[in-house]
Amino acid sequence: MSDRDTFLPKFAALALIGAGLVFWARSVLDPYALSIVMFVGINVILAVSLNISNGFTGLFSLGHPAFMTIGGYMTAILVMPAARKGLMLPDLPAFLAGQEWSFLPALLAGGSLSALVAVIVGFPVLRLRGHYLAVATLGLIFIVQSLAVNLDGVTRGALGLSGLPSLTTTWWVYGFVLLTLFVCWRLKHSSLGRTMLAIRENELAAACLGVRVARTRVFAFALGAFFAGIAGGLWVHVVTLISPDSFSFGLAFQLVVMVVVGGTGSITGASIVAAVLTLATEFLKPVEESLNLYGASQIAIAVGVILILIYRPAGLFGTAEPQPLNLIKRLGSRHTSPANSPE
Amino acid sequence: MTLPYLIDQLVNGLILGSMYALVAIGFSMIYGIVRLINFAHGDILTIGAFAGLAAFASADLPFPVVILIVLVAGAVVGMVIERTTFRPMRGSPQVTGFIASLAVSIILENLAIMILSAQPRTFRIPAYLNALVDFGPVSIRVIDLMIVVLAIVLVIALTSFVRFTKVGIAMRATAENYDVARLMGININRMIMLAFAIGSALAAVAGLMWGSKYGQISPLMGVLPGLKAFVAAVIGGVGSISGAVLGGYILGLAEVLFVGLLPPALSGYRNAFVFGALILVLLVLPNGLLGRNTETRA
Amino acid sequence: MQTWIKGLASAAVGALIAASAGSAQAADPIDIVALYNLSGGGQASLDVPSLNGVKLKAKMINEAGGLLGGRMLNVTAFDTKDDTREAATAAKRAVAMKGVSAAIGFSDTTYVLAAAPLFQTAGIPFVTSGATSPDLPVMVGDEMFLVPFGDDVQAEAMAEYAYNKLGIHKIAIWTDRGMDYTTGLTKYFTKRFEKLGGKVVLSDVFMTSDQDFSALVSRLKSTKGVEGVYAASGPDTAGIIIKQIREAGLDLPIMGGDGLDTDLVVSVPGKEMATDVYFTTHAYVGLDTGPANEFRKAYTREYGHEPENAFAALGFDAMGVVANAIEKAGSADPAAVTKALAATKDYEGVTGALTYPEGSHVPSKPVAIMHVDKGNVDFDETVTPQD
Repeated sequence: MSDRDTFLPKFAALALIGAGLVFWARSVLDPYALSIVMFVGINVILAVSLNISNGFTGLFSLGHPAFMTIGGYMTAILVMPAARKGLMLPDLPAFLAGQEWSFLPALLAGGSLSALVAVIVGFPVLRLRGHYLAVATLGLIFIVQSLAVNLDGVTRGALGLSGLPSLTTTWWVYGFVLLTLFVCWRLKHSSLGRTMLAIRENELAAACLGVRVARTRVFAFALGAFFAGIAGGLWVHVVTLISPDSFSFGLAFQLVVMVVVGGTGSITGASIVAAVLTLATEFLKPVEESLNLYGASQIAIAVGVILILIYRPAGLFGTAEPQPLNLIKRLGSRHTSPANSPE
Repeated sequence: MTLPYLIDQLVNGLILGSMYALVAIGFSMIYGIVRLINFAHGDILTIGAFAGLAAFASADLPFPVVILIVLVAGAVVGMVIERTTFRPMRGSPQVTGFIASLAVSIILENLAIMILSAQPRTFRIPAYLNALVDFGPVSIRVIDLMIVVLAIVLVIALTSFVRFTKVGIAMRATAENYDVARLMGININRMIMLAFAIGSALAAVAGLMWGSKYGQISPLMGVLPGLKAFVAAVIGGVGSISGAVLGGYILGLAEVLFVGLLPPALSGYRNAFVFGALILVLLVLPNGLLGRNTETRA
Repeated sequence: MQTWIKGLASAAVGALIAASAGSAQAADPIDIVALYNLSGGGQASLDVPSLNGVKLKAKMINEAGGLLGGRMLNVTAFDTKDDTREAATAAKRAVAMKGVSAAIGFSDTTYVLAAAPLFQTAGIPFVTSGATSPDLPVMVGDEMFLVPFGDDVQAEAMAEYAYNKLGIHKIAIWTDRGMDYTTGLTKYFTKRFEKLGGKVVLSDVFMTSDQDFSALVSRLKSTKGVEGVYAASGPDTAGIIIKQIREAGLDLPIMGGDGLDTDLVVSVPGKEMATDVYFTTHAYVGLDTGPANEFRKAYTREYGHEPENAFAALGFDAMGVVANAIEKAGSADPAAVTKALAATKDYEGVTGALTYPEGSHVPSKPVAIMHVDKGNVDFDETVTPQD
């Protein structure tokens, strides 16, 4: 219990510090830098939520891009002004055409639809193990993509939905980062979370102890999908466009890398690696451009992943949660990479 | 729909299926020994195709020699990948290897685009390979016949190699249990490397055949065939060589008939259908048609 | 955490400034940004040639003494990696660079729609070298310019040519559903062809990544009364489609848009089978004389091979149109450049004479219809759209 008692005040303190930083960032950074900050936040949401299934429960899913696509389209269609819908999507079913929601309920609806799909797909697919599940969820990306291309009455086909309002702000992203971190942290330290970890470690033993394995798995999968759907909705309203190719297999790989490198099961690890990786790819770009070696940053990251898999197979943090306050203190005092300071 | 149309489509399906089978055999071979889903398999297919192009272009070599060069190129690449990437992480969970193979695939694809440019290239083969052979109602090209024959010959050759030769038996022992195999005096490192060499050489030859058949190759050509070969291998039962071939034919036929027999408007769902079928097969027949291990589900 | 981000950011920005300062020594260069998908996926085969064209034109202008009395063009290329998110962030990065006179980019409408609105907001003209949706300026705004003709123009030109000149009244259409370009072509072609009295007897679809068309070919073969095929395809599938249709023994005329303007159309099926193929493309590109020849020579000298497809010439012209506007405006100020761009009249490019009609940012350009006969690509006729 003591863990929990210190958690809330600590979390609140961190949230406040974070809010201050967001406030500061908004006043000094240009729109480009701010959009990178937003993508850092979105990737944190994605990595941490993928960690629920891949890290806590040991379900190796690659399906996040599929859920982002579902959430992204759903949010975009709900938020779009009805007049614009008439122009862009004349064949939209009547029950969708008239809707004109505000951002928050639309995001939640997008997340919920993703979660619903995850439940429907989850019951059969989650019986699969290890890399079979990985490939089945990979198939899910292709299936959703295929639907998005071909159901042009709802999605406007390959062209995608464009000119969406840029509703997503750093505050929205920050709010959902906090929500994701809060939910995941509480989950990990709750009995349900321990149940998930038990399933990951030894499914048979967990089942013998009365754990409802199938149901817990589907819940983990759906919860991850919910946040992926919300992240999709946020993403779409930063870029102001969604197309069937917006969330592809390459993104799934990046997210898996964040989880695996951060340490499967470590919320802090996944968040830090998500942030570092997003920033690193952005900062590698000028290098790539000046060397005229386009694609070099992807190669560099892939090589890095292989090295980590060889030399630190449990990821940088394992399942452990390094003390966030201490870590930030350390980061504040010296500009060291978090990669050097595990535990 | 008429009977000739149906026969036409069935032949299309069989030819496409033998293409998938060819890719899937190598895939299953590697899985059978090391339990690794090698995502980079499709990229080795690409390497094989470009090696073939280079061999054709640099000197006017006869086709059998080109095949030999491609086999060697594929085997070398496979061994290098095994030695540098997969061997150091042997003993890690299955998923680790899978992620590593994704990373290898990304490295190979980006390198290919950087070095070769993303442009598709023409792949010309000697005219006699493109000639038509008549079989009553249908006529088939020599290259298509070669692909079918090659797939069948390879199954027989590989199955007997694994079953009857000393090295083959050692490989199977390795697949069963590393430690016991080691105690029996088998050099398991060598066996695993051999599996990678054979599997990758087959992928490379499949790439050569792919290029020969379609007449065009590109740095990303292997991605979709690689994925579909995986689906084929799963349908047949991953790890089983004859299963891979069976799965390849089933997938090829199913895909062509899906496009050919349903209304044209549904053709766009072709890949969705393939992956939908994959998920369905995994659920109904988790070990595939001819597979035997039972680690796929709870 | 944020201070550390800032540290890294300032280091990276420093590197960027150092890099750009190193490459252009002359005082006060004119900054142009080019956004293209150079790695990571299928767009690279269109976008790399386009960027090559852009860079070649800029180099030629700089070698001839630059613009506005000696100011050099400085092209910064951003790789957007086949990712719409990268397209949007690259646009934000370019806008944040300050002092950019114009942006050039992309061969696909979706990517333009991800990037161009940001330039629109910043008041910087965005000239697309390859995206062909005629609705783009409506969707983006007055900073949006097209260098190629709209899909409507070339698809309608081909529909008329097919119906009137080739005498085809019953047609089969193959459409790549994975691209907006190809779905657009089919839409406009069908509309005009049916209006003329023609009939679409088969409409089949495929995806950009498909390589096996055997099932579609068999269906085409078994469909009665087909007199020709309109293949709405990009360059990557153009050659394979012709090869597979011809190998099945079908000698129907095959038609298409400028996606067929690639060497693959002849080299993949081979000279014998590359016959009775017609496609619309940009005037001059396929011709043996005039600016096209000069362009081809310069391109081959610079890159060691012939232009890969029509997109190289379009990139070349996009840079040319922008440079022309800067020269005409007498200033590199983006607002002045936009104004001068809109007034472009009879710019002699490699892809034909380009004029933006009053109030339109889709150029009125002649459409060339090319005829492939036994591997020889010949110019057949030019259609200039009348409105």
